[in-house]
Amino acid sequence: MLRSRIIPCLLIHNKGLVKTVNFKNPKYVGDPINAVKIFNEKEVDELIVLDIDATKENRGPNLKMIESLANECRMPFCYGGGITTVEEAVKIISLGAEKVALSYSALNNISLCQEIGNIIGNQSVVVVIDVKKKKIFGGYDIYTHNGTKKSNWKLNDFIAKLEEIGIGEIVINSIDNDGVMQGYDLPLIENIREKCSMPITVIGGAGSLQNIKDLISKFKIIGAAAGSLFVFKGKYKAVLISYPNREERKPIY
Amino acid sequence: MRDKVKICANCVMDTTDSKITFDQNGVCDHCNTFYSDILPKWHTDDRGDKALKKIVKKLKKEGEGKDFDCLMGMSGGIDSSYLLYIMVKKYGLRPLVFHVDAGWNSQIAVNNIERLVDGLDLDLYTEVINWEEMKDLQLAFFKSGVSHIDTPQDHSFFATMYKFASKHNIKHILTGGNYSTECVRNPLEWMYYQSDSIQLKDVYKKHGTGKLKEYPVTNILWHKIFLPYFKKIKLIRPLDFFPYNKIEAMKTLVDKFGYQEYPQKHFESRFTRFYESYWLPKKFGFDTRKVQYSSLILTNQMTREDALEKLKYPAYDPKIIHQDFEYIATKLGISVEELQSYMDAPNKTYKDYKSQDSIYNIGAKVMRFLGLEKGGKR
Amino acid sequence: MIGIIDYGSGNVQAIATIYKNLNIDYEIISNKSDLKKADKLILPGVGAFDATMQQLIDSGLRDELNDLVIRKKVPILGICVGLQVMGFGSDEGDFPGLGWIPGRVKKFNINKIESKPKLPHMGWNTIKDIQNHSLFKGIDNEFGFYFVHSFYFECESEDNILTTSNYGIDFTSAIYSDHIIGTQFHPEKSHGNGVLLFKNFAQL
Repeated sequence: MLRSRIIPCLLIHNKGLVKTVNFKNPKYVGDPINAVKIFNEKEVDELIVLDIDATKENRGPNLKMIESLANECRMPFCYGGGITTVEEAVKIISLGAEKVALSYSALNNISLCQEIGNIIGNQSVVVVIDVKKKKIFGGYDIYTHNGTKKSNWKLNDFIAKLEEIGIGEIVINSIDNDGVMQGYDLPLIENIREKCSMPITVIGGAGSLQNIKDLISKFKIIGAAAGSLFVFKGKYKAVLISYPNREERKPIY
Repeated sequence: MRDKVKICANCVMDTTDSKITFDQNGVCDHCNTFYSDILPKWHTDDRGDKALKKIVKKLKKEGEGKDFDCLMGMSGGIDSSYLLYIMVKKYGLRPLVFHVDAGWNSQIAVNNIERLVDGLDLDLYTEVINWEEMKDLQLAFFKSGVSHIDTPQDHSFFATMYKFASKHNIKHILTGGNYSTECVRNPLEWMYYQSDSIQLKDVYKKHGTGKLKEYPVTNILWHKIFLPYFKKIKLIRPLDFFPYNKIEAMKTLVDKFGYQEYPQKHFESRFTRFYESYWLPKKFGFDTRKVQYSSLILTNQMTREDALEKLKYPAYDPKIIHQDFEYIATKLGISVEELQSYMDAPNKTYKDYKSQDSIYNIGAKVMRFLGLEKGGKR
Repeated sequence: MIGIIDYGSGNVQAIATIYKNLNIDYEIISNKSDLKKADKLILPGVGAFDATMQQLIDSGLRDELNDLVIRKKVPILGICVGLQVMGFGSDEGDFPGLGWIPGRVKKFNINKIESKPKLPHMGWNTIKDIQNHSLFKGIDNEFGFYFVHSFYFECESEDNILTTSNYGIDFTSAIYSDHIIGTQFHPEKSHGNGVLLFKNFAQL
């Protein structure tokens, strides 16, 4: 039977890897290429790499870097950050990525998802949605530009529209739980999952392998992505890349 | 006509070390220095045990009430890993484990650090060197044509650790340096002093493209004189105080922690592996295995025959070296052709750039005279 | 020499890198006239059925492939859509397939599957090696391979089923007919198992 996927998610800022807390205060983690190489050797299920500067700086993806990273991956590699045209998406796939992730572009121009999907296949189109809890009345708002701008789209409407178009995967990113390492926002996921017929990956909050195990126990098959968990160690948040090996993963799945 | 290489009758150092001298028995000066300067003062019996226990007692006392009693540099390599295990399990120390990430960690190294730190339930602290600067500095060294192109990594390891100790006022740094596997040192001609900041800065000035804003720079006077004598920050090498056998140490780590073996010394870093197994021998004819094997021969952990046999084959795997070559080029942001052009360029030495070698020469003589250091580079 | 067919679909580069690192001779082929240089062929594929068939036709490769594979019996490995085009056709589109192995491509009918799985079937899944084929020698079947698809191949004859996997229902995850092999999963994205499969294919 299909297993859940445990996915390291790496953020790129100023050409280097960083980790944030609530999307703020990026802490330098090091060279992306070596990190990806190590993750590949650790046989991670999949890898997501997001360039968090691109949209803010209004520029396209760094193709040379994407090619170097894709070259190191013997597992599926999803790249996101600054993709605004079909040509860029097609180019990124041709450089060796399996999937392209859209965030701001999808909110700004949802038909882009369909256009890209028509060329590279819907299964290769991923939409990343960054959400923050509303201050009152419950529910969530969608944010862009590293959590600084609120989108006009309502979360449920956006997901319904994506469902209608048919994309490969939705990645739900909890800004409130980002870097906090106290567990995933399970109610958020529960709410979204019942509205989607496509695979979901969640990110934001994983602080231990137990958090991932709990997530998988609850939802059976889901993508469990994490940043801090796989790059930091211990109370001093020492940068050290880790990932459970084949044996250690068995009880988690 | 090329002279045939002459090999020491006792170890495997040879005339690729152009400063080597042989006595009337064909035994080289590396061996003789070991027998005359190091061996008589190197005690791994009761004397070593007693001395180490005294040091440990001091560390524990000074560490009372603090989160940790010493700083221990950890690369993931066997020396620092075994040291960590012994000092925690046998001597009961509470170190803060310190790792410097210069961007070249192998998966094995990272895995081994994790296993040791988890297995011994210790705290880890890492410093990540700014990769963009490290990249530029490493490229500068490639362009310079000198043989000691691993200086950027080595220099950053020491500088970062000393700066950390100095900043947090930690008096004792434990390292895995040891006579057992390192009593023969790389000749200066092969690997010039990596702590020479004048050399580093001059190479960068001539071949770097930007500024080193975050890269940590130390200098010999600061960490050999100021830190130990004024700030009282001391470097300790506990592996010199008891019998340290590499094969047994490896077995212990594998059994107890699931430690993964490295194919050769210094393979924790992908760059160092490439540098020592390929770049140095291919471009300069310097094979660091001769230094490592000679140390093991002198400490009875390897036979000369075994060493000579291994040296018949290249240190790198010809079948996969192109993968490493490509990876090094990719990571440095250059083409394979450009990297090859540095390989093909004329060889230079440290004397082609500014250096503090006169200070090192005087310093080394003084240290040896005062009995503060045994052996050492030449 | 392994010929990796580049007709605009599939992760050709990943396969090339794997063979390069295995030190096995390979070439990326986009001209139909170069196809005959290869001892064995690999047909990658990602995307929709019709689009893929269209690309094969437009690139001029389809007829040449038919000749090499069917008449000259050049061994070929099809991946994902590269497997799906080997049958008579697909529910996903209108184009006929290559017709090399009797069967049709169907969509997972999630309404008929009790566990109501999501589509696409995406992630790592195990395989059951029905034929004990040397393509899977040394492979950890439990670790499995990476899949991403919503359609699967249904063989007319059981003799063509190479491996099965389960996603709510048991389905065919690899097919074969003598020198023709197809995998629904992506060995080029399946770590060590994939590398080994490519090596085994080269050595068949």
